[in-house]
Amino acid sequence: MAKNSHHVVPNSKGGWSVKKSGSIRASKTFTTHLDAVEYGKKISIDSKSDLIIHGKDGTIQKKDSFGKRTIKRNIKKS
Amino acid sequence: MSYNKNVFINCPFDEEYYSLLRPLLFTIIYLGYNPRIALERSDSGEIRLAKICEFIRESMYSIHDLSRLKSYTAHEFSRQNMPFELGLDIGCRSFSNNHLQEKKCLILETDKYRFMKAISDISGSDIKNHNNDPLILVRQVRNWFVETVGIKKVPSPTSIWYSFNDYAADFYEKRLEEGFSSDDLNIMPIPEYIDFIKEWCIKNRKYNPSLLNSINEKINANIEIMEEAN
Repeated sequence: MAKNSHHVVPNSKGGWSVKKSGSIRASKTFTTHLDAVEYGKKISIDSKSDLIIHGKDGTIQKKDSFGKRTIKRNIKKS
Repeated sequence: MSYNKNVFINCPFDEEYYSLLRPLLFTIIYLGYNPRIALERSDSGEIRLAKICEFIRESMYSIHDLSRLKSYTAHEFSRQNMPFELGLDIGCRSFSNNHLQEKKCLILETDKYRFMKAISDISGSDIKNHNNDPLILVRQVRNWFVETVGIKKVPSPTSIWYSFNDYAADFYEKRLEEGFSSDDLNIMPIPEYIDFIKEWCIKNRKYNPSLLNSINEKINANIEIMEEAN
């Protein structure tokens, strides 16, 4: 499992959560996807980690790296 | 895996349903069970109905998703494979006089009462609805395993869902590194996908006692082979 990454994932209340990789608890929850992504970006930049943005079905929509590597790529949604 | 760990999955196989099939497979494996699904092998010489009957006979548990019963456009046929296979499974349980009587099944639907209009014969049965939402599906399947199969000390539905998201990230990352394209991943054979979930659950030490036992058996067998070779 990629240890140093944060994930934007759908939550059970119809909103979005930001969670650390491997964690079974959300760091913070949001009503909108946009707010969750903004927060995810902020903490990923602060912690120099990857940000993985999931779709409603859990598949990967986008991954941004804010660590030592500065690779930025989009992954086509399935 | 043995009869009492096998779960026969009766569901549609169209691309749209994959958003539910992926978390469904993950949840079953995460809980230590073995999904049996028609897509697990595709021998063109094998009669499909014979394969389905084999899976029904070899699986103590089954999950039937009737959420794609309805046709949505004029002249479109409704999907009959799922209710047909549900009938086979219930018939197998009802007419046997051996261990098959112990079979248990979960019926899934989009809405809780919609199926009654199409199959009123099972209107007295308890079913669970997932609203076409992958997260709700994970919760319903996890809860059914607790209520009906009787497994205990199971992680919460949210915990399983978050693990599924971690798994999905690792799956895409690793496969893209290995040279798979997004299209390759979308049409990946189901056995390959199932194997990746099993490996991931073992590697990340998720709740999966039977898989851990099976990997230990494999490791011990390999050690014996290596010792014999030396």
